[in-house]
Amino acid sequence: MSSPAISTDGLTRRFGPLTAVEDVDLRVAPGQFFGFLGPNGAGKSTTIKMLTGLLAPTAGRIEILGLDLAAHPLEVKRQIGVVPEGMALFGRLTGAEYLNFVGRMYGLDRETAAKRAAELLDFMQLADQPKKLVTDYSHGMQKKLALAAAVIHGPKILFLDEPFEGVDAIASGTLKAMLQSMISRGATIFLTSHVLEIVERLCSHLAIIHRGRLVAQGSLEELRAGVEAQAAAALSSDGGRATTVVAPGEKLTLEQIFLRIVGGAPPADQELSWLS
Amino acid sequence: MAELNLAPGVREQLAAIARVRWQIFVNSLRTLRGRLELVSHIFITLGFAAGGIGGLAGSTAGAYYLVSSGKTEWLAAILWPIFLFWQLFPVVATAFTDNFDTSNLLRFPLSYSSFAVIRIVYGSLEPATMLSSLWLLGVAAGVGMASASLLPWAALALILFAALNILLARMIFSWVERWLAQRRTREILGVLFLLFIISFQLIGPLMSRYGRSAHPDLRRFAERVFPIQRLLPPGTAASAIASAAQGDYAIAAGTLAILGIYGSAIFWFLHVRLRAQFRGENLSEAPALTESTGERGIVHVGWKLPGISGPVAAIFEKEIRYLSRSGPMLFTLIMPVFILFIFRLTPSTSSRGSGSFLASSSEMAFPIGAAYALLILTNMVYNNFGPEGAGVQMYFTAPVPIRSVMLAKNLAHSTILALEMVLVWVGAGLIYKPPALATTLATIAGILFALPVNLTVGNLLSISSPKKIDYGTFGRQRASNTTVFASFGVQILVVGLAAITLMAARSFDRIWLATAVFLVFAAVAWVVYSAVLKGIDHMAFSHREDLIAELTRAS
Repeated sequence: MSSPAISTDGLTRRFGPLTAVEDVDLRVAPGQFFGFLGPNGAGKSTTIKMLTGLLAPTAGRIEILGLDLAAHPLEVKRQIGVVPEGMALFGRLTGAEYLNFVGRMYGLDRETAAKRAAELLDFMQLADQPKKLVTDYSHGMQKKLALAAAVIHGPKILFLDEPFEGVDAIASGTLKAMLQSMISRGATIFLTSHVLEIVERLCSHLAIIHRGRLVAQGSLEELRAGVEAQAAAALSSDGGRATTVVAPGEKLTLEQIFLRIVGGAPPADQELSWLS
Repeated sequence: MAELNLAPGVREQLAAIARVRWQIFVNSLRTLRGRLELVSHIFITLGFAAGGIGGLAGSTAGAYYLVSSGKTEWLAAILWPIFLFWQLFPVVATAFTDNFDTSNLLRFPLSYSSFAVIRIVYGSLEPATMLSSLWLLGVAAGVGMASASLLPWAALALILFAALNILLARMIFSWVERWLAQRRTREILGVLFLLFIISFQLIGPLMSRYGRSAHPDLRRFAERVFPIQRLLPPGTAASAIASAAQGDYAIAAGTLAILGIYGSAIFWFLHVRLRAQFRGENLSEAPALTESTGERGIVHVGWKLPGISGPVAAIFEKEIRYLSRSGPMLFTLIMPVFILFIFRLTPSTSSRGSGSFLASSSEMAFPIGAAYALLILTNMVYNNFGPEGAGVQMYFTAPVPIRSVMLAKNLAHSTILALEMVLVWVGAGLIYKPPALATTLATIAGILFALPVNLTVGNLLSISSPKKIDYGTFGRQRASNTTVFASFGVQILVVGLAAITLMAARSFDRIWLATAVFLVFAAVAWVVYSAVLKGIDHMAFSHREDLIAELTRAS
């Protein structure tokens, strides 16, 4: 059996008295489209920052493609692509200049970087305003450019922090097409997102982090089965008085699974009487 | 139905903004970095205060002497330097200018008048306004001590003069910001500046003639210039006080009215800019959508630099492209030549009585210009990552050591300095006389010493004390206070050492001695630079969280 594309052991990160991520053991197999979910402030971005070298863990170990990240940071970085929070773009370059720049930072020769930059701009439908600076791009265009930059060197693993946030349906379609094509060619994708419908459609495997701890990990079917089993156990223990999880013949959606696991409840009725 | 008339009063809005700025300041003290910033700020303020108090004493004594000896109209001689400092300092020394972004205020129900007041008041909280106001207070005190009855008139004239200066400074700043924001206007401004410098070739001989001529000629020149300057704000303010001193109160009132008309005209020009900003003006350089021809852009291959690795060449190219698109930074880079020009116009400090300090020691023009070029470059060198903003994360996710990133940035900045020195050399030649070979070599050797010292400290401060800056907007390139303070220390050390060496060499009439000493210093400095660069990765990784957090935070 091949080694995991991503694995962590006891990954922990503390910020002073606050433990943002605690003892996380992740296993992502090569070729998986892996969704990393959690409520706001659960530790998703902190985890992805540690996995990509933007943040040092307080404790624990990270292996990417069998290499220890702490011991071989440059070797690991050559094989991964990242769209971090904030996208890491350079606003006062044009899209082409930025892609060219990133390509060369990842060791591509000048001609290859320029050729791939042109292809990516075409694919992302960003080629028709060549003189426009990145700072003047719309949010969706910036997301597409950030993804293009993350893949220009052909990474084996792609880390995406909220790639669909603020992206319209057209841009989202382009992004999804590119990601699925990468998966079909054997790449591994690690993605965080709040858009559960997209995660459900794209991801084969999931992990859910809540209050810094990993509370679930596995394929969508495994997670669904786990929640249903828990619900059935609860149902039998209270003599059938509890409501059923889902109607007969229907499957739990990812949103339902997520809410069951993290225990999300709708906000209490409040009176904001001054709201019109 | 809720009460709809909720528009808050101007006073409440201004108080709320002042309160929020105070809260931001207090919250910033929670971190060590924030506390260091405060300490640095206090030291910088003390430095300015020393200059301010010196100027206060000088202006008080000067005003007292002029009024008590019946030369009240010569108060213009004090008001003119104050006026020039007030207007030129914020533009020349953008490192001390903080032009904060008020565009995010536009979403609130803020009236235009509140917006204008905020822009004017907050824009004026900078050293030039503080110091100049202090000096004007000195003038008022001097006048009051010499003639108590004149004080109300002097106070009125000086208050009007101060208000005019505040408006004019904001007006100049906002228009320069506007002109530098877009390529077309930037180019026009560049051409105008070039013409200005070239035209000096015509003014130069005239100045030299008067500078070198006998006292009667100088006096005749002053007599011709004097009536002209009376028409301009500093002269008008002095005239108003002088008229009141002579008991011509109607003339004094009329002169003050002229000052008021000046103020109104300036306010109108300022209003044009403020109104545009209030309406949500966007000065981006993006071509309008209608201009898009659907043309597919050809992606050009990146630059190739002989003997330099791909990533380093890519960062070098990126640095130069960033700079070439930054009007404010390009504007700053022509300042060394501008300073030589200003020196050319300043009155003599030499006992030989020639036109200016540099006219009597013109061989010093190139060293002084080069030192100033280096000083300006520290704005970039000491805050290497500032312009990248969130882009800095790329350097930490890319398979490139941070020392290569730093090396590339240092190479780019060194290249810019080399170009600047050529510009200064040519400028010094045109404005004064071509620098002698010995002076040129000594200056180059001096820069070879000063450059690595600044690069070394700059690399360390770029990591430990970064600040997000905006290359595209005038007055938003201010580094952190800690950096400014540390940079002061380094400049005092380096420039002091260089000046002592140069002076000593000059006194022996052996300039080559300075060259030799500088080369020895340079060798040591480059060794230290290299050692620090080697260890920079470790430092960068231990500071990466603070660095990224600082540069990715919203402005």
